[in-house]
Amino acid sequence: MLEIAAISLNFGGLAALEDVSLKVAEGQIFSVIGPNGAGKSTLFNVLTGIYPPATGAIHFLGRKISKLPPQRIARRGIGRTFQNIRLFGSMTVFENVLVGRHTHIRYTYADALLHTPRYFCAERSARDKVLDLLNFVGLEARAEELARNLSYGDQRRLEIARAMAIQPRLLLLDEPAAGMNPRETDALKALIRALRDERRITILLIEHHMQVVMAVSDRIAVLDHGRLIAEGAPAAIRENPAVIEAYLGPGAKESLA
Amino acid sequence: MKTKLLSILLLTLACASGAALCSAPRASWTLLPVLAVLFLCLTMRLPRTVRFTAGLGLLLIAIPFAGFTNTFLFELGIQIGIFSALALGLNVVVGMAGLLDLGYAAFFAIGAYTWAIFGSTQASYFMNGNFPLAGWPYFYLFAALAVLTAAITGILIGLPALRLRGDYLAVVTLGLGEVVRVLANNLDHPVNITNGPQGISPVERPPIPWLMDLLHIFNPDASPALGYALFFYLLVIAIIGLVVLINVRLDHSRFGRAWVAIREDEIAARAMGISLTRTKLFAFATGAAFSGAMGAVFAAKQRFISPESFTLLQSITILGMVILGGMGSIRGAILGAALVTLLNIEVLKSCSDFLNTLRQTGFVLDLGFFQYNFALLPSQLEPAKYERMIFGLILVLMMIFRPQGLIPEVRHRLELEKDD
Repeated sequence: MLEIAAISLNFGGLAALEDVSLKVAEGQIFSVIGPNGAGKSTLFNVLTGIYPPATGAIHFLGRKISKLPPQRIARRGIGRTFQNIRLFGSMTVFENVLVGRHTHIRYTYADALLHTPRYFCAERSARDKVLDLLNFVGLEARAEELARNLSYGDQRRLEIARAMAIQPRLLLLDEPAAGMNPRETDALKALIRALRDERRITILLIEHHMQVVMAVSDRIAVLDHGRLIAEGAPAAIRENPAVIEAYLGPGAKESLA
Repeated sequence: MKTKLLSILLLTLACASGAALCSAPRASWTLLPVLAVLFLCLTMRLPRTVRFTAGLGLLLIAIPFAGFTNTFLFELGIQIGIFSALALGLNVVVGMAGLLDLGYAAFFAIGAYTWAIFGSTQASYFMNGNFPLAGWPYFYLFAALAVLTAAITGILIGLPALRLRGDYLAVVTLGLGEVVRVLANNLDHPVNITNGPQGISPVERPPIPWLMDLLHIFNPDASPALGYALFFYLLVIAIIGLVVLINVRLDHSRFGRAWVAIREDEIAARAMGISLTRTKLFAFATGAAFSGAMGAVFAAKQRFISPESFTLLQSITILGMVILGGMGSIRGAILGAALVTLLNIEVLKSCSDFLNTLRQTGFVLDLGFFQYNFALLPSQLEPAKYERMIFGLILVLMMIFRPQGLIPEVRHRLELEKDD
């Protein structure tokens, strides 16, 4: 579904991503882990068009997306959340998700001014979709609150609902468990699984919370200093000496043993 | 129950203040209650029908009726109306889309010149034809054209400014706004298009035989001046109504939501599939269009325009109205425009007149320990000249005590109960 072929990106002299290649199959929950500064979020930013890759190519659903601007990539079906939450703070929870429906609400400027049947029809179906999504993430009771007044965990879930509103085929979740308490983390695990199992969405996940990663992932890729150092099933990654070294420093395996 | 009581109270107040205004149209104390009720209509949380009935009743019955004896009421209404439309237009660009535009008066100028050039003999300097175009459809035709040209200019000015945000955008729009004014100032040669700093005069007004006929039924010796005052008053109210309707409808559409989204967070908005280019250009064009329409009305109403009317100071005044009322708030923009206009042409002038009277009569203020003879008051002390200072002071105080504006933006309710 998503093919990342040998992409590299430099910030000045720093190689943020170096020759990274990944393949994500449809229906997978694919996690990207790595120490801080490993290039995980940069990878997301390259995938969503915020930074074009210096070299390499990205194909999504068989079409090249690596030179497209962010809004075009979003329309191709890649939704995302942000590590540092980027909600529309002074809009309500409901409106935040409604903005996500933007490209699916098809009426013209004139329709909006004249309130044609097409306007009402599109707005009503958008509203239904939004309510469904708010139900799905469990925020329906909060619909009318301003996004900035939500708790941290709720804001993370709202970001997921908003990203879902663009009807993505692939959803990029950037540290969704950050700042969540254990109860919220458990709910998040269920939510991520439901996204895949009920909504048929492929998921690319960045997460530091290893318990979440190990619980939900089908495959895991490990980045360190912008390079891909391992890729495989959770069990294999847990045992991989290169990964342990990246996280705990050289010789860690021996001292753990 | 409480709502019902308040509604009845508001309607009663509207009737009472309206009657008072009609009974003594020239006394300034009768205008105050009317303004107060209009203020309540804007701000109170009451059913829309009640607020509309009270507000429109005053605007369309009481004020026109009183205006027959006191034309100043029309003048005041027209001024407030013109600035309300400008504030509403700028509110789309600055308040909703968050694009700081300091050259907004340029669109007003373009609308004004669009009609002024063809509604006077000015056009005959550079083209053949029978100018001024004085028949009845021409004004409306050119007002529509003014909307179009202003919107197109909005897009043209928006294009180079697209990649900029915040302060940088403000500086560029400021510059482009000045370009329009300087063009108006200098396009009197080699071909005389704008008549340069002398301005264009007289600009035709649309003929209003139907309104005069109507007026003559009530008052056989109504003058054309009164007729035009009433005409422009009603025209401005109609345009405001239209502008508010457009504003509200856009606000409730994907376009309005996209504007607020890019204001809040451009990166997140793009991740939602929103194109910054299209969204920003739509905002510039919409805001400019309102201004263009009012420009044409302004030219016809003043019968004289010159580049003087479209300075940077004008742009900043309009921005001040939006900030005072509350960024992104439709009712706020109207309130801001009304307050600033009232301050400029009514409150400060009254203060000046009052001080002048005291000065001339040699009134002595005697507090026992302190005595002051107003005849000694320097003649330079005239509040009407301190408009900018007081305006600035108000803005500074607003920023300290109520930065969100008098009527802050309210995001809409979901209105679940409406059709479930």
